[in-house]
Amino acid sequence: MGLVGIATEKILSSFSVFLFLSILLLAVARRISTSVLLFSLQSAVITAEVLATAYQEKLAGVYVVGLLVFAIKVVAIPRAFFLLTKRLKTVRDVKASTTPTQSVFITVAMIYLSYAAVHSYGQAVHVPDDALAAAVSLILTGAFLMVSRKKALMQVLGLLVLENGIFLAALLTTFGMPLVIEIGIFFDILMGLLLMGIFTFRISDTFEHLDVSKLRKLRG
Amino acid sequence: MLLLLPIAIPVLGAGLILCFRNPRVATRAALLLGALEIGALGAVVWQVHVRSELQQGRYLRADGLSSFFLMGIAFISGLVLVYASGYLRHMGEGRFSSPRWFYALVFLFLFTMISVCLSANLGFLWIMMEGTTLASALLVGFYNTEGAVEAGWKYLVVCTVGIAFALFGTIVLYLAAVKAGMSPAAALDWVSLMDAAPRIGLDPHLVKLAFVFVIVGYGTKVGFVPMHSWLPDAHAEAPTPISALLSAVLLNCAMYAVMRYDAIVSRAVGPAFPHTLLLIFGVVSMVVAGLLILVQRNLKRLMAYSSIEHMGIIAIGLGLGGPLGLFGALLHAFNHSVAKSLLFFSAGNVRHHVGTLRMDGIQGISRTMPQTSAALLVGGLAIVGLPPFSLFISEFAILSEAFTQARYFVVILFLVILSVVFGGFAFHFFRMLCGEPDRHVENSRLIPSEYIAMGIAGLSLLFFGARIPYLFGLLLHEAMAVLQ
Repeated sequence: MGLVGIATEKILSSFSVFLFLSILLLAVARRISTSVLLFSLQSAVITAEVLATAYQEKLAGVYVVGLLVFAIKVVAIPRAFFLLTKRLKTVRDVKASTTPTQSVFITVAMIYLSYAAVHSYGQAVHVPDDALAAAVSLILTGAFLMVSRKKALMQVLGLLVLENGIFLAALLTTFGMPLVIEIGIFFDILMGLLLMGIFTFRISDTFEHLDVSKLRKLRG
Repeated sequence: MLLLLPIAIPVLGAGLILCFRNPRVATRAALLLGALEIGALGAVVWQVHVRSELQQGRYLRADGLSSFFLMGIAFISGLVLVYASGYLRHMGEGRFSSPRWFYALVFLFLFTMISVCLSANLGFLWIMMEGTTLASALLVGFYNTEGAVEAGWKYLVVCTVGIAFALFGTIVLYLAAVKAGMSPAAALDWVSLMDAAPRIGLDPHLVKLAFVFVIVGYGTKVGFVPMHSWLPDAHAEAPTPISALLSAVLLNCAMYAVMRYDAIVSRAVGPAFPHTLLLIFGVVSMVVAGLLILVQRNLKRLMAYSSIEHMGIIAIGLGLGGPLGLFGALLHAFNHSVAKSLLFFSAGNVRHHVGTLRMDGIQGISRTMPQTSAALLVGGLAIVGLPPFSLFISEFAILSEAFTQARYFVVILFLVILSVVFGGFAFHFFRMLCGEPDRHVENSRLIPSEYIAMGIAGLSLLFFGARIPYLFGLLLHEAMAVLQ
């Protein structure tokens, strides 16, 4: 086994720790730009895992997926976010409805919950518990970010974290779906983000703020 | 090749319509393309009837179930396009809110919904289902008012999260299939999955997990309680033709996806698990929406909650299973979409002539707008399930199935909620239709396009109530055969 082989082994066995780190840091991040950076780093970790899987399983299609993840989630989306925050001239605070301490505790609880949840499935699908738990806790914390951050942009970011988790789960358990489907899913995500961008502009135009918790005209 | 036609026409059509700056030309082009599209869908439905299945490449397939839903899409989208041609005269000119953008987005929306029904692959189905959200979000926020932007944002975020769960469910089912020894290429194809279902079901945990995620995910788009929060906002704030499309076509398409998964999972792990889940979601949706109907103040929100209630009824029919339950569920999906289109069309007219959708501001419209009121009354009587109309038959079928299976709890809840809904509709409609009109309404006569759309919807409600046409019955039974 060459150096690359050892590196892929290590990436697959121990990179989950960086994912846990990224969601814990997301819990305490106060600024939108910090959160976007963290998301970018998190996606970079996932890119590494995708490439490692491709190398280990010798699947050419998965390399393509890895490049797509890198281009879209590590480069394009964070750039778009930075442009948006600049153009919208919004306050840079994420407007969390929980204090950082509470957020960290909730995130830790979710990580614990993920371990408990995947315990019975991990062995059945021959995937290390850590990796699967990381995927599930990304899904949970993504959902948590969506409900606890009031800024429209942060809701989108939460959605992306959640999607990262689903993507990782698919990668770990099935080495990804067939390539055509995978590309279709990426296309959908991009279009969805484009639309959410359009809507954040419209929200800031019509309401002159980006605080979605103040959107409460429609009730009942 | 035939299957590519109904997908290609709306995509190319959307691009074409964007080239016409003149609203009148754009409207005519849309009507023409709509007619072409209905023709193409009709041809597909007929060919499926003759050959029982059509296949195009690895990703497109149509069988009895798809063709039943395609027929519904063709019928309702035709009505909506005709109604919209008259409706758009009220629309102001905005940068992106002109008729050409409206029609282009409508055709993209139709493209995604037709692709959902034609997809042979569960991954492709997911992509197109997410596509329906994307295509319709801009239509929901079309008016760009505060309410419309809020509804559009909520719709986009809630449905995208919901559908993300469906993606997870899809992946888990794929995992179960691959583990059972299927090749990765076949493990998302629903015919292969149906064939291999007993083998996949040997490890029931993953399949059950998949179904839970899928029913929560696609159930968000169906509008099951408690994932329904987007639905009343989107229906109320969207332009009226879009409300009709959302309620009458989109919800059915999402239900179609649930039916496909239900069929696979039932064969894999036995019908008890998926059917119980469907029954629970159905009963909860029906009860919650039925009670909320009583307290509504806005006419279109009233219709939206009624849609949730009817989706609950369809889910109950599916959950009961059996020949009558399936028959009732499928027939109800069609009947509900016709009745709800008629109601939304009438609500749109009321909004234009009275100027509000708040029901306490609408009084005595039976004198000022007799034709619209008649349509509203017919739609209202039909939607609560009174006998001369078609919804009575489908609800009765579901109810008889529940009696046959001796599920008296479901029967009692079903009947109680139906009477509550009847009371609610009677209360709201009585206040709106009767009484002294408090404002003068000018020129309330229907224009020809409204006459056609509302007339056809109303008459078919009556007609299907009297008897089910022979060909329609055949298609219905072909659809049932796929699910059994």
